[in-house]
Amino acid sequence: MSELRARAEGRGAVLALATLAVLATCALWALAAHELWRSTVPAGLPLPHVDARRFFSASFLRRSSSYDRFIDVDGLLASLTLLIVLALYARRGHRLMRESAAGRIGTGILLGMLGFALVWLAEVPFGLAAVWWERRHHTSHQGYAASLIDSFLSLGSRFVFVALALAIAMGLAGALRRSWWLVATPLFAALALLSSLLSPYLIPKTHPLRNPAIAADARALAATEGVAGTRVLVQTVSRSVTAPNAEAAGIGPTRRVVLWDTLLDGRFSRREIRVVTAHELGHIAHGHLLRRVGWLVLFLLPATALVALLTRGRGGLGRPEAVPLALFLFVALQLLTLPLWTLVSRHEETEADWSALQATHEPATARALFTRLASTSLSDPDPPAWSYVLYADHPTIAQRIALTEAWQARPPGR
Amino acid sequence: MSEHPVRLVITDDLRRKRLTVFFRLFLVIPHYVWLAIWGIGAFFAAIGNWVATLVAGRPPAGLHDFLALYVKYATHVYAYLWLAADPYPPFDGRPGYPVDVEIAAPERQPRLTVAFRLILVLPALLLAGSLLGAPNFGYSRWRTGNEATFNYAFGIVHAAAFLGWFASVAWRRMPHGLRDGVAWGLGYGAQVWAYLFVLTSRYPDSDPEVVLGEVPSRSDPISVEVRDDLRRSRLTVFFRLPLVFPHLLWLTLWGVLSLFVVIASWAATLVRGRPPAALHRFLSAYLRYQAHVYAFISLIANPFPGFAGSAGSYPAEVAIDAPQRQNRWTAAFRLLLAVPAWFLASAYGVVLWTAALLGWFAALVTGAMPRRLRNTGAHAFRYVIQVNGYLLLLTDAYPYGGPCRVPGLADEPSQSPAPFSG
Repeated sequence: MSELRARAEGRGAVLALATLAVLATCALWALAAHELWRSTVPAGLPLPHVDARRFFSASFLRRSSSYDRFIDVDGLLASLTLLIVLALYARRGHRLMRESAAGRIGTGILLGMLGFALVWLAEVPFGLAAVWWERRHHTSHQGYAASLIDSFLSLGSRFVFVALALAIAMGLAGALRRSWWLVATPLFAALALLSSLLSPYLIPKTHPLRNPAIAADARALAATEGVAGTRVLVQTVSRSVTAPNAEAAGIGPTRRVVLWDTLLDGRFSRREIRVVTAHELGHIAHGHLLRRVGWLVLFLLPATALVALLTRGRGGLGRPEAVPLALFLFVALQLLTLPLWTLVSRHEETEADWSALQATHEPATARALFTRLASTSLSDPDPPAWSYVLYADHPTIAQRIALTEAWQARPPGR
Repeated sequence: MSEHPVRLVITDDLRRKRLTVFFRLFLVIPHYVWLAIWGIGAFFAAIGNWVATLVAGRPPAGLHDFLALYVKYATHVYAYLWLAADPYPPFDGRPGYPVDVEIAAPERQPRLTVAFRLILVLPALLLAGSLLGAPNFGYSRWRTGNEATFNYAFGIVHAAAFLGWFASVAWRRMPHGLRDGVAWGLGYGAQVWAYLFVLTSRYPDSDPEVVLGEVPSRSDPISVEVRDDLRRSRLTVFFRLPLVFPHLLWLTLWGVLSLFVVIASWAATLVRGRPPAALHRFLSAYLRYQAHVYAFISLIANPFPGFAGSAGSYPAEVAIDAPQRQNRWTAAFRLLLAVPAWFLASAYGVVLWTAALLGWFAALVTGAMPRRLRNTGAHAFRYVIQVNGYLLLLTDAYPYGGPCRVPGLADEPSQSPAPFSG
């Protein structure tokens, strides 16, 4: 009797400890999220309402809305297809194990790659529809065959990533059984860091800024934003794309800003290019790429735990049979958390806009730039809520214009 | 399987006269002129034969014999030019030349395949081009504008003839392997011409064991065995290229390490006269892994290979003998000595990838790799792997340059061994 009681007490203590550990982890998670959410944009900054009709004609608003809705619906259908294909694959994918002579992990890698291969096949019509739509609206002049071949060949790099991730997860699951995810998460984070570090070297067709005035502006802005020495490069994309864009890439010694050559083709003034450059430098100054890795860890921790829990029925992720299910779960979780990812992205973009305003002190130029960006890329200045929540990784043009007005109206010293 | 109606007959004794070998290119000029004149007649005869066969369902005997004689004569001339035979050929294509072709009597042919012969022959022509050698024309886009480019891809025939020329001048003897390499291309070329001229409806078969009748069996220190069945998964065939990316990355990383290991092995072999067992093991695993990846990407085998190069884990397997004593001189100058083999291997590589490309389309449609393409690829694969093994100092036995028996190819199809069974 006393033995039973002692065992029950022991079990109770373990349960209490586990609960405590879970609570502590949740608290740590919340604390980390709070830290990552910190922004230099003043808290509670009132954004004035901006009526898009002030800046855009009615016909443009109609056209951009129709353009964006098609792209959004196409994307939504592609995502649904992705889920359906992976759900079917989770049920039947293990049959493809017979196509492998690669052992436990190698077979898992094959199943992982084939899952994405099937998804690619299923998504081909949606990709082609998007190309057709973009060509029709002159935002891209990439050919159908070129688009198809490009996306087929890009599967290769995706497969390398899948192979690496599965090799790590399955290797750990084979050795550590149920707790593999605890080790896998920091390992994946380290890989994400490595990827951020090396990603600038994978951007094709780049060259240094050739315009001395714009190069001088970039150097001055980098110094103003506290990231002096950051390289600013130009990427040649104009053979396939007409829309302008720019990006910040790399961390630490590899950090750089990459401007698309479509931004420098004469449609944008030097001052507008300054604002774009300052915006991208803002991302670097506020460590957004590093913070992304932090957000990734916060996502991976519960996601991998859930995958580990739900694949137990198939022997755990150490078994190749569990890979199709793990794939489905992981992608489903990614899609479910999509609104959170876009929220984080918009938050960072707002901070980069604010940073650009602080560095350039040119709200009128920023407004002109945003208006022109919307016109050239046919971006809906005020999309419907569902599209905004799911797909908007930047604030809407109306919100960005509102931010410039809020910056002008800010109290002195902020 | 019945014998192919276009059959190569080789009675050549490999002996060569230095003088005629040295001036072979010039000596053949009269034959070239005659071949061109005869070719004009053959062109119109082939059109007539095509129309007649389309109407009657069988080639007329007169036209058939005229065109068959032309194919035989052309084979004699090219056999002479590319050193597969030594005597100066007669100008009438009469039988009895040391490298001769026998073409079966006319028989009924399905009209549909006759009607579309010009299209149907295209894959065979592509493969024949890779066996013989083909020029490549193209345009490159440079910063200065478009530029026409020209290069020449050596086929096995041209590469073997080129190397055979030096060997024959030096030793008055054409190496057996190089002669068979040339004969393989000639025999397949004769089949393609016979098919194009509507002399037969049997599709050209590039399997060297079919073209040459028989190939030597050898016991080399590095041998290749292919025991895969011909079934192919359409899904993995379609995505074969991206699927192999992780392997290519891993192969590259392993290759970088292997470079240092092979240098160490080379130094050790020079000192001890034999590669150290540990280094030999490491390089053997690398070669096996390379073979598995090549076999997978070239559709010689179906299953996705493992990443460790484990022995016995794959249906296209490489057996490598334990480290043996090696001649220090051949070890010292291995890189230099390997140049001819490497040159020939690059020609074999073209055949391997051409067979893979054609096999990719076929396997995608039928769910199976055509036996002839699989076997053609496997023969080329054998040579490429042996050359790589020679370069990696796994043996000092020089790779045999001609087609030789690859165990497993002639056997009854079996289920793929070693699929992952959990």
